[in-house]
Amino acid sequence: MAHKQDKASMLNQGVFIFVYLAVLTVLEFLVAASFNSTAVLIAVALVKGALVVYYYMHVYKLSADHEGDHNSYEYKSGTNRLGLWLFLISDAFVFGGLLVMRMNLLGLTRPNLNQLLGLGVTSILLISSFFMNRGETMIAHGDRKGFLNNTLVTFLLGLGFLIGVVFVEWRLAAHEGLTPSSGAAGAAFYMMTGMHAFHVLTGLVFLAIVWINGRRGLYDEKHYPVEAAAVYWHFVDVVWIVFYPALYLVGTAIV
Amino acid sequence: MKGFFQNLLQWLVATLRVVAITTVGTGVGYLLGIGLSFLLTLLTTGTGVLDFTSPAGVVLGSFFAIPAFSWSVSGYGPVTKGFLLLTVSGLVGYLVGVGLDSIIMKSFRPTAPVPSAFSLLFAFTAFFFGVYGYRGITRGLVYQVVWTLIGGFIVTGIRALMGLSAFGGFFFTEPAWVFGALVGAVAFLFGVGVMDDWVKWARGMDTPEFHEDEPGWEKYLGVSLDHKVIGVQYTVTALFLIAVGGTFALIFRTELAASGLQFLNVGMNLFGQNGPQLYNTLMSLHGMIMIVSILLGIAGIINYAVPMLVGAHDMAFPRLNAFAYWVSVPAAVLLLMSLVLGGFDTGWTGYPPLSVKAPVGQQMFFLGVFIAGWSSILGALNVIATVVRMRAKGMTAMRLPILVWASVATSIIALTATQLIGLSFQLVMFQRLFGMGFFDPAKGGNPVLFQHLFWFYSHPAVYVFVLPGLGVISELLPVFVRKPLFGYRWVAMSSLGIALVGFLVWAHHMFTSGMNEYLRVPFMYSTLLVAVPTGVKFFSWVATIWNGKIETPTPMLFVLGGIVVFLMGGLSGPPNATVSVDLHLHDTYFIVGHFHDTIFGGFVFPFFAAIYYWFPKATGRRMSEFWGKVHFWLMTPAFFVLTFGMMRVGLLGMRRRIADYDPAQGFDTTHLILTIAAFAIALSVLIFLINFFHSIKHGEKAEGNVWNSRSPEWQVPSPMPAHNYETPFEVVGEPYDYGLPGSKYIEFMPAQGGKH
Ligand code: HEM
Ligand SMILES: [Cu+2]
Repeated sequence: MAHKQDKASMLNQGVFIFVYLAVLTVLEFLVAASFNSTAVLIAVALVKGALVVYYYMHVYKLSADHEGDHNSYEYKSGTNRLGLWLFLISDAFVFGGLLVMRMNLLGLTRPNLNQLLGLGVTSILLISSFFMNRGETMIAHGDRKGFLNNTLVTFLLGLGFLIGVVFVEWRLAAHEGLTPSSGAAGAAFYMMTGMHAFHVLTGLVFLAIVWINGRRGLYDEKHYPVEAAAVYWHFVDVVWIVFYPALYLVGTAIV
Repeated sequence: MKGFFQNLLQWLVATLRVVAITTVGTGVGYLLGIGLSFLLTLLTTGTGVLDFTSPAGVVLGSFFAIPAFSWSVSGYGPVTKGFLLLTVSGLVGYLVGVGLDSIIMKSFRPTAPVPSAFSLLFAFTAFFFGVYGYRGITRGLVYQVVWTLIGGFIVTGIRALMGLSAFGGFFFTEPAWVFGALVGAVAFLFGVGVMDDWVKWARGMDTPEFHEDEPGWEKYLGVSLDHKVIGVQYTVTALFLIAVGGTFALIFRTELAASGLQFLNVGMNLFGQNGPQLYNTLMSLHGMIMIVSILLGIAGIINYAVPMLVGAHDMAFPRLNAFAYWVSVPAAVLLLMSLVLGGFDTGWTGYPPLSVKAPVGQQMFFLGVFIAGWSSILGALNVIATVVRMRAKGMTAMRLPILVWASVATSIIALTATQLIGLSFQLVMFQRLFGMGFFDPAKGGNPVLFQHLFWFYSHPAVYVFVLPGLGVISELLPVFVRKPLFGYRWVAMSSLGIALVGFLVWAHHMFTSGMNEYLRVPFMYSTLLVAVPTGVKFFSWVATIWNGKIETPTPMLFVLGGIVVFLMGGLSGPPNATVSVDLHLHDTYFIVGHFHDTIFGGFVFPFFAAIYYWFPKATGRRMSEFWGKVHFWLMTPAFFVLTFGMMRVGLLGMRRRIADYDPAQGFDTTHLILTIAAFAIALSVLIFLINFFHSIKHGEKAEGNVWNSRSPEWQVPSPMPAHNYETPFEVVGEPYDYGLPGSKYIEFMPAQGGKH
């Protein structure tokens, strides 16, 4: 299984996955710009999501260690892992509901948004996932300094995303007349990006907590909190992997 | 014989004394109330009007009745002290509210909503202060009150700076109330102390894995991590809410006793609402408070029983478990706040566009439900993790108790679907706050979308209500017929089947809503499909009872009652699911009869059964059999009268959710009977409550295997020790092989050196 590999190959794997994700993102952008096929966009989003869920969020770890001493750190971490995933499943229903709302209200139209900015913030979030994965891999192999640096980069990129969406994108959109009360498109846009931004914000809080505690010398091979913060962060990324095409790419732009 | 009469006499004298003292208390309050309103009219209009039906009299009367009742029953103990403080600070809160309101609004408005809001909050908090002192729940409530005000004033300040109106008809403006309420709810959690360990973890500190609980009843009023304590907390909170919701029902049922408006008429004014408005609020809140009490009630059963049934020492995440309970308390406060902050008239479903227009109470309602939803979600998460990860050795999937299967099925729904009601309510909240046009056709929104999102939860939710109850029925039935459960595998799978099919039927609530017509038929058939796994359960119950040696102590009576009542609910479902029939039945009292049958059969009866059954496990004493039987034989017939009568008036044309009806429809008499039946049910529940609280201290001692059950929790003495089983057990046989000679379910392992 992948998680038994050594540090170097784990880091390499992270790079490969990131390259796939980047290529697919460019692909979907080009698809949307040229022949705009909804089916292709959905397929690409699903593949990207699956890559993150498997290789960055390590969903397969859920099936590990069902036997063994109920009081061991491994067993307890396994229980915590299950709890976290259950929470993410639950949370996914919020975003699923938002997606349904968007489809119902807007169908195959979309708000007219700044395409470059959209691609920009999307890239920032993807890159942050890449660094998060590196950070987690490093602490798993006892490299505290590497962990701290990579987590810090993740945090800063996440902050960049948040600023990009809330302080730049929202302003630009409002300037173009797309406000929360301007109509269904505005309502859907602000609600979806707002709910996602709220999750980014909580993710940043978790990252800050593990970073500060990591600096204090907590975490070694026993680093479940870091894993949890990372999995949550990647989850927020997966949501955006779906929301980005849903808001920026699918269908024809109106307003 | 002489002894019997002596006992009877003593009992009569004691009851008379309680009634007398309570009546005197009520009378004093009532006189004070009408006196005050007399003075008030004298002061404001110059001519005093003596109004014997003034709400002030009713409110003050009941305010005084409670401490008087408590004093006459239990003397001057902590509870009476709490109630006295409740009355006093309720009045103080009212005066503070009137003062603040008249300073800021520059007019004297004694019936405005704000004084009532203050009164409610002050009274609630003071009660717990009197009982328990400034810690645990009291501190939580104080935090909630203070931070609600702080949050409200922050928004008010910002609005003032922006040049917007700072105050509104409800003192704060709507955004200020919403933000304040949210901040207050979060503050409650910090105040009560349920965040303490997590805050320490976030700061990199370690905490002990367990915390010792205080001995005695005091542990129930603060944060405890023990699943049994939390189970009891849930149960008692549920009973409290059932009492509140039931009181509301009695009020509007009385109004319905005859056609025409009796006392909830246009002339009255309470909490800033006139009679019919108040009717709507009470009806709506009755629905939602009962639903929340069901969610808490099933959480109570599940929390208490599941870890013991699977042989775990606690839930998988004890802190999350405590959090899930405590988050429901501020939610309940918010729901009650909605009553005094103008109320709302949408029913529990909160459909826009009506919910966009209702007063601020609607927002408190949405927020309260939203927060209560988190209790449900996080509790469900914990249950699934516990069952997957914490089972005793040898407890394979096909040896899990049926109640555990049912709890897992329930939790799957609660974990996922609950988010959708949360989302739908949140969207309306935002539509109100920011003018976002989700459900506003004028802005390209779609009101039917709300109904889809709402029912995607709220239909599966009805299975959240009943699956645990049906699990309790399957769990207890073999114990009292001394026979194996028939068709274990089928019953276990039927819960999952119901849960999964339940996700595919939601739009049967929307046949008349104007959704696309081609959706009707598939939803009709998927709904009818639910009857199949439900039928499996009935076959199993009947076959289990068949030829059994039936014993009928109180829990078994409620199990049998539950089966019959749920059958009535189940049979009245398919007609509603059939499109052609539902077009006529929709929004009539027939529906009301249908779901009361399902909910009583699937939740209320099994809930009582579970309480009578596990009460000795929790307390080491049992509840009175005699009064248990009185409870059952009073409630069951009255209940049949109630729901069949509802169905009857429904078929004759009585609409749902309205305060009045036309005498020409000719069902005044039926309505009167329904009201009498409702009061009979209330009386039976009152008997239950007294039995419950009385038996905690005075019940007959019962520390052994009272019901002669095979289940592991009954193989150890009651009450259960703090971390459950001192020696772990191993499952060596089938759970329900009652009456099979030589069969064995569990075996305790030889004591080991280390701690389990
Ligand atoms: C065989 C099983 C069942 C069927 C076929 C069924 C069918 C239906 C249908 C079609 C309606 C909508 C009627 C209308 O509004 O026009 C309805 C309403 C309702 N049902 Fe059931 N039902 C079943 C079981 C249950 C159970 C087990 C529960 C609860 C625990 C339940 C609770 C309710 C409630 C609360 C409503 C009213 C909702 C509202 O409008 O406020 N039902 N049922
Ligand atoms: Cu339904």
